Amino acid sequence: MVDQHTPPKWSRYKYPESLYKHGTLLIVLLFLGYSLHFLNVDIPLLLGALGGLVGVVGDRYYPPDVAYVLDRGYLAAILDTLQMSFLGGFAGVCLAIPLAWFSAWNVSPNRRVFFPIGRLGVISCRAIHETIWTILFVSVLGFGMLAGVSALTMFCVGFAGKLFADEIEAIEMGPVEAMRSAGANPFQVFLYAVVPQVRVAFTGIAIYTWDVAFRAATVVGFFGGGGMGWYLKRNVQQLENLRVAAIILSIIAMVLVAEFLSGWLRATVNRAK
Amino acid sequence: MTVLSVTGLKVRYSAKGPEILKGIDFEVKSDDFLAIIGPSGAGKSTLIRAVNRLVEPTAGEIILLDHNVCDLNAKQLRELRRNVGMIFQEFNLINRMSVMDNVLSGRLGYTGNMRSLFRMFPKEDVDQALYYLDRVGLSDHINKRADELSGGQRQRVGIARALMQRPKLLLLDEPTSALDPKISREVMGLIRDIARELKVPALCNIHDVQLAKEFCNRIIGMQDGYKKFDGATETLKDSDLEEIYAMEVL
Repeated sequence: MVDQHTPPKWSRYKYPESLYKHGTLLIVLLFLGYSLHFLNVDIPLLLGALGGLVGVVGDRYYPPDVAYVLDRGYLAAILDTLQMSFLGGFAGVCLAIPLAWFSAWNVSPNRRVFFPIGRLGVISCRAIHETIWTILFVSVLGFGMLAGVSALTMFCVGFAGKLFADEIEAIEMGPVEAMRSAGANPFQVFLYAVVPQVRVAFTGIAIYTWDVAFRAATVVGFFGGGGMGWYLKRNVQQLENLRVAAIILSIIAMVLVAEFLSGWLRATVNRAK
Repeated sequence: MTVLSVTGLKVRYSAKGPEILKGIDFEVKSDDFLAIIGPSGAGKSTLIRAVNRLVEPTAGEIILLDHNVCDLNAKQLRELRRNVGMIFQEFNLINRMSVMDNVLSGRLGYTGNMRSLFRMFPKEDVDQALYYLDRVGLSDHINKRADELSGGQRQRVGIARALMQRPKLLLLDEPTSALDPKISREVMGLIRDIARELKVPALCNIHDVQLAKEFCNRIIGMQDGYKKFDGATETLKDSDLEEIYAMEVL
């Protein structure tokens, strides 16, 4: 049983607060211990696995089959993944902008109808993980790029929609008031008072969205969307470990390139304020 | 002729919040340049924003250009707002747009969505914008971005934008508070001259009593949501001012 001791006199926290604080901590720790026990996690095995990992990697995954990833077929797959992330990112951003406008409380065209539509649209895209979107689209559209692009689009709507809406909700309301007082309708208010204020931030978010979409594209590919991920899956299943190692390295390299490129582009855009 | 008539106007921002306006009555005639003076927090800004329902009144009646403002639906309200030019304390320009586009945005109430999207304003609007930019002395700055201008110049853009609406009433919300004393006089003078030229009445929030006395023909004194004084500028006595600003001394 839990023994509830009274807090010592020197405590900064008065009686009920200290109880909540320590009580919460205790519950978290108890649940952690219970989970470890319930799942029967073998900690010595886990620690041993770290050493084992180095051995396995050295044994089976080295040297990576670099020639395989420099082959024309695989290079085309890299391009596929790149195109997939571009298409998905572009379509996602285009859909996310109106949804973000609807779901920004301060300038929503209608708080009773459009606001819930926008919020629900963005939230439902976020609620479903990109792998699940891929599985859903693959089952409807079949394996390949179309399913991959569709899944990435949904992912990007959820990702960019939230960031766009936050950005819109942080604008200065003065120009909005001025446009409203001139008799502008909600669409015109969005065009003239909102867009100029969020243009730069939106460009940065769009670039970031592409970067994240590129990373997601490898996973989407694994689940049937095509591109690099699809190669990864095939070789994992065929136990072609040296090729798997090379593919993983190529993915890491490409993601790093995308990350640098997006960082540099965003910095350039922000300077153009 | 009466352009605006307000009766028993009350405003509260939320159901549990304090009442900001506690029953205000006044009228604006077609040749008025009316100042609203009073200490900070008296409700001057709220009063001006309630006139075109940027702030929703909780009670009372506002008759503006023969329309009952509180009864209008969204579309009718937009059509009425086109007739009311508004000039703001912080200018409320769109900083990342050119001076020309800022001035043209005053025509949005008369412009369709497609034209607005591609910024294709009719030629007569552009000509009118050029005319008003010249009138407020900004002909040399047409293509500059609004955030490149000084405070006084920005307010001139704000004036030109309001005039683009061909307003039948001007609402001025502390138009000079963000400007230095010399520029304040110039801007107030410009607004008064243009208002006379175009025969547009104006309702002007102002906390600088000197400016109010100098430029306005009538003065309303407000304190804590009540109207404390309403009369021609000449009839405003020092004792009235003392009463209006009594709370601030404390």
